[in-house]
Amino acid sequence: MLFGVSRFMLKGWVKTLYIDPQYYFGYLGFEWVKPLEGSLMYLPFILMLIAALCIIFGLFYRIAAFTFFLCFTYVELLDKSNYLNHYYFVSLMSFLMMLVPANRAFSLDTRLFPNIRRSTTDQWHIGILKFQLAVVYVFAGIAKLNSDWLLDAQPLKTWLQAHHNLPLVGEWMQQDWLAYAFSWAGCLYDLFIVFFLLSNRLRSYAYFFVVFFHFVTWYLFPIGVFPWVMIFSTLIFFSTDFHERMLRRLRSLFRAKETSAPRAITSGGKRTITSFLLTVYICIQLLIPFRYVLYPGDLFWNEEGFRFSWRVMLMHKEGYATFYLYDKETGRESEINNAKFLTRTQEDQMATQPDMIIQYARILKEHYDGKVLHYGDQKFLIEDPAIYAKIYVSLNGRPSQLFVDKNVDLSLLPYNLKHREWVQPFEE
Amino acid sequence: MKSFSRTTFLLAACLLGLAVSCKKDPGPEDSTPFDKGAMLTNIADNIIIPAIDDFSTKINALESDYLQFQADRSSVNLETVRESWKAAYLSWQAVKIFDFGPVRDNGFKGATGTFPTDTVKIEDNVAAGSYNLGSVANADAIGLPALDFLLYRVNALSYFVGNDPYTTYGLDVIQKMRSELTTVQSAWTGYRATFIAATGTSTTSAFSELINEFNRDYELAKNAKVGIPIGKQSLEIQLPEYIEARQSGFSFELLRESVHQIYLLYFGCDFNTGAAGLGFDDYLNQLDRTDLSATIGTNFQNILNKIDSFSGTLEEEMATNVSGLDELYNLLQGQVVYLKTDMTSAFGVLITYQDNDGD
Repeated sequence: MLFGVSRFMLKGWVKTLYIDPQYYFGYLGFEWVKPLEGSLMYLPFILMLIAALCIIFGLFYRIAAFTFFLCFTYVELLDKSNYLNHYYFVSLMSFLMMLVPANRAFSLDTRLFPNIRRSTTDQWHIGILKFQLAVVYVFAGIAKLNSDWLLDAQPLKTWLQAHHNLPLVGEWMQQDWLAYAFSWAGCLYDLFIVFFLLSNRLRSYAYFFVVFFHFVTWYLFPIGVFPWVMIFSTLIFFSTDFHERMLRRLRSLFRAKETSAPRAITSGGKRTITSFLLTVYICIQLLIPFRYVLYPGDLFWNEEGFRFSWRVMLMHKEGYATFYLYDKETGRESEINNAKFLTRTQEDQMATQPDMIIQYARILKEHYDGKVLHYGDQKFLIEDPAIYAKIYVSLNGRPSQLFVDKNVDLSLLPYNLKHREWVQPFEE
Repeated sequence: MKSFSRTTFLLAACLLGLAVSCKKDPGPEDSTPFDKGAMLTNIADNIIIPAIDDFSTKINALESDYLQFQADRSSVNLETVRESWKAAYLSWQAVKIFDFGPVRDNGFKGATGTFPTDTVKIEDNVAAGSYNLGSVANADAIGLPALDFLLYRVNALSYFVGNDPYTTYGLDVIQKMRSELTTVQSAWTGYRATFIAATGTSTTSAFSELINEFNRDYELAKNAKVGIPIGKQSLEIQLPEYIEARQSGFSFELLRESVHQIYLLYFGCDFNTGAAGLGFDDYLNQLDRTDLSATIGTNFQNILNKIDSFSGTLEEEMATNVSGLDELYNLLQGQVVYLKTDMTSAFGVLITYQDNDGD
């Protein structure tokens, strides 16, 4: 986390993603989440840095975890153009970390408040974290069970061939068999790795695969910190003995005197509320990725029920969107220069995602409604304009197809979770 | 303006000849896998570096012709400056595609080609006598478009005669370009190795930047050279003040050369000889997208033919041939989706400037 946040700040992304844009694409129901004014936007990131440090050293753990969760989630909710599955994962993990007492041993908190020291913790504290990781893997595996991935080896075929200049392995990258091998292996890995990690006998072999798999993806694809997050997160599957050994080594580094060790035990007390809440959380996590079945049409094309579902590295979508302002009074139209309103990332994301297309159309309408436009010596008072768009999209290496036609006033469309009929049907 | 029609014709004929000479044999493809590194080497050594060298030659000629004109402000000498300015402006159409690496680092694209030029700002600068041409505020009072105004405004010569500050302004504009170009040129010698090695698809790799800028430059030609003046972004109200090279009336030739250079890059044609080399079309063919690579080639031909079909200047055509310009614009627009969406996604390159955290 510390690494992720520092990387984010060092790369100047705070500015390009959360200070420079004029408009933000909020999530449905969370549009009220707005960025802070100018450089104040660095504040949540600084807080996250401090919180991450506190979590590592176990200082004021609960407050720190809560702060981290709050700041991270706040930043993520600002603009869906920046949505990434692993950001969602970090949000969820920090939410869970806020609930589990990971400060009861080997922490500064135990020095400050010795009476909270415990050598054991409830089974569910570790179980829920394991569950969350299992969800990520298994659903990522299930999501790969589609014809593009398994039968056409797309989008991996496209992505791998681009690496044909790598030393040694380069010439394999243009070979179809490699794309198929990666696709199938990736799918099987995601589906089954958790079960191997759960097995005492196979765990160390499985972990070897975890490291190998994520290292390869890190090397070949621009996926940032995700591989490292997963490599370290999956350590939770190891037995308490393993962690104790590691802690003992760390302790000797710090010359700490603690010798007691945490051990997971089954909770004896009746904690109906806890178990009820846990069940609710688990159910939500299990159901959300499947919500796409409620929508007709192609999932990748329409992207209805796509986010928050661990669909990682699943598609390569590229779009070209031309928006038009139509003045009902004079029957004249103008092409919109998207760069005047959106950053390139936003434009790129918007062009292929129907919900963002509606949001953008609304931004445009609001901007032009009631404006007087001067061109040469002519003046136009724009009232209640219509917003049209012609959008072409290419999915997983297919030739581009018409995505949105110029016959729907996009600014009048409802922005909700219902199926969007105005998106042109996908043709194989 | 009439006196240029012959040169215009000759030039167009030459360009057309080049275009034809670079068309490739659709002969049997050999089965060796495509090598992106070899394509980048071809593009660096046979296209980008020669294009920058050519532009440098043209700018140096412009400078020496201008110095001669400064010493003797005759109409003959003005005519010589105009000719070398036009040659430089045409040469610029190739260099401006490559807005990454040294060109971007030195802000060279904006400093050389921003139009429309702000004529009031130029006159104010001259009147003030002191100016910083490198300031952001002066971005639209410099470069080749500023010279279009100085060299071709009505009674252009009369403004130079006996007016040293005015004449010096033109020289300052030229020398600014020349000194920046020297920097870019020598930086490219070092950058070449980086460029040909950066075959990756991350948004910061040179290959991605090349593809992104290729697309951006094409869209810029479509919008700035045609769309905006003919009213595509202004409720169909024409904006002649946005015409590139409005005073000289060379807009169509600049547009043609711009599209043509993009086309030559697409086919990987040698800048000097026009000989075919490894280009984007070969990459598409390797990816079994021969249909797409053929479509893109045909579209380029149609666009160039359409541009050649206009006999007047852009401003004249805007007054008399709105539908013809609409057809040209639609051809330009139709090509974007193939370049930006189909070709780019086939290459596995992300069309975004932002280096992101991926997923």
